[in-house]
Amino acid sequence: MNETEIAQALGTTEPRVNTDDALARFRERVETEGIAPVAPVVRQRVSSRWLQGLAAAAGVVIVASALTLSGVADSVLKIFEPKNVVAVPVTQGDLTYLGQACAGLAPQQCLGGYGTFEWTSPPQPKEVQSRGQASAEAGFAALAPASLPSSVTGNPRYGVINRSSATFTFSADTTRQTAARQNQTAPPMPANLDGSKLFITGGPAVVQIWGAPTETTKATGATGAYPDVPTLVVGQAKTPTISSDGVTVDQLRAYLLSQPGISPQLAAAIRAIGDPSSTLPVPVPAELAISHPVTVQGVQGLYVGDNTGIASAVIWQKDGMMFEVIGSFNESQALAIANSMR
Amino acid sequence: MTLPARGGGQAARALSPAFEGLFRTEYARVVGIAHRVLADQAEAEDVAQDVFLSFYRAHSADAVYAAAWLHAAAAHAALNALRGRDRRSRREAAQALPPDATALDDPAELVATSETRDEVRAILARLPERSAAMLALRYAGLSYAEIAAALDVRASSVGTLLRRAEDAFRRELK
Repeated sequence: MNETEIAQALGTTEPRVNTDDALARFRERVETEGIAPVAPVVRQRVSSRWLQGLAAAAGVVIVASALTLSGVADSVLKIFEPKNVVAVPVTQGDLTYLGQACAGLAPQQCLGGYGTFEWTSPPQPKEVQSRGQASAEAGFAALAPASLPSSVTGNPRYGVINRSSATFTFSADTTRQTAARQNQTAPPMPANLDGSKLFITGGPAVVQIWGAPTETTKATGATGAYPDVPTLVVGQAKTPTISSDGVTVDQLRAYLLSQPGISPQLAAAIRAIGDPSSTLPVPVPAELAISHPVTVQGVQGLYVGDNTGIASAVIWQKDGMMFEVIGSFNESQALAIANSMR
Repeated sequence: MTLPARGGGQAARALSPAFEGLFRTEYARVVGIAHRVLADQAEAEDVAQDVFLSFYRAHSADAVYAAAWLHAAAAHAALNALRGRDRRSRREAAQALPPDATALDDPAELVATSETRDEVRAILARLPERSAAMLALRYAGLSYAEIAAALDVRASSVGTLLRRAEDAFRRELK
């Protein structure tokens, strides 16, 4: 097959477009949806707010989607144990909005507007000296990439996070008080939601970081132009779970997704998740990143990359463990690293 | 949790001359890239609208990378849309008259064209993202320099990468 035949296979009919009509359609959409163009001054500050908003959105998305289930028994029941991952598009508007709501707060504190979040066993990250020590501390064999791109040099640093657990108790009073402090009225909380509990567990986890600044490189600036940005992060954790003591999940879902911080598009994306009890939704900034399913280590995972191809992440679940590979690579490099994990 | 009210009632500003200029210059190209992937003009124009909207929200129309960003986003967004199509709807589309093959009169040829088109889309959906994007950009008429700018690769590498993408495409095509 030559170039001409490939061109024919890909379709040679050029679409005839009416740019004036298209521009009118675009203008109407911008006006009806109230969309403002980027403001150059604000653009300088997007990065930190974006990350803050992303963290908040991640918390809301994970909790909300964990609740999109068809009924929960009266006793404690495991309602969320992800076996695969899926992208949930989150717009700049969602991120900015949630970021404003949770400014300066950790995701669990942000959730505190609904009730009480309590660590029963808080995460306590610590650095260890070797992969063997990390495996011993975590209680599972920490996998590492067998091959690395030439841009990744030196030895990694190892971190371990213990198995952590927390309880979240919904409270109608807390919700009302939080709303009152902001001169707003929250949607009424269903009576059987008030006082119900979620039991959340996560970890243990092992994190391996290449290119993280050490005391030496901090002093000499030896890590290059971006001394605080690791070149590669590999994470591995026992799959997190969420259990419930018997709330009406349909009501929970409707209540959470009706909150003013969750856009109709985000709510629709969460509702569209096929099997929410076994799917970990990964918030992906719709305007800044692309994502699509990939096969990694023989299972379906998720690739997330920014539109410029500068940064990539591959996330997958296998044998009761969640894995992620994040770094300044293109897709094929990121997948090669992920597939070389042994 | 309560959140501050959204400022949705604010009227949107008129499009800047720079953005209108960018839209007029690049719209047909963006649609063309998406159309190579989707083989459906209406869907390609929907993708183009979304791509321009994403750009409008986050980037200045004066940005030096504007065209390259739009080209890359068109390819990626169209590939995402392609992968998101339900298998059943793809089969149904294969049975329907191809929207861009209305000049063909022979029903057998219509079906054959439709089946080939469907198979080609399935291959694009299976190929690695960069290979599929590279094919879409190249066969939409972009130069090597434009492809290099869009996909953030060296211009000197485009020829090699394109050949690999074409080889992968040939292997997949029965």
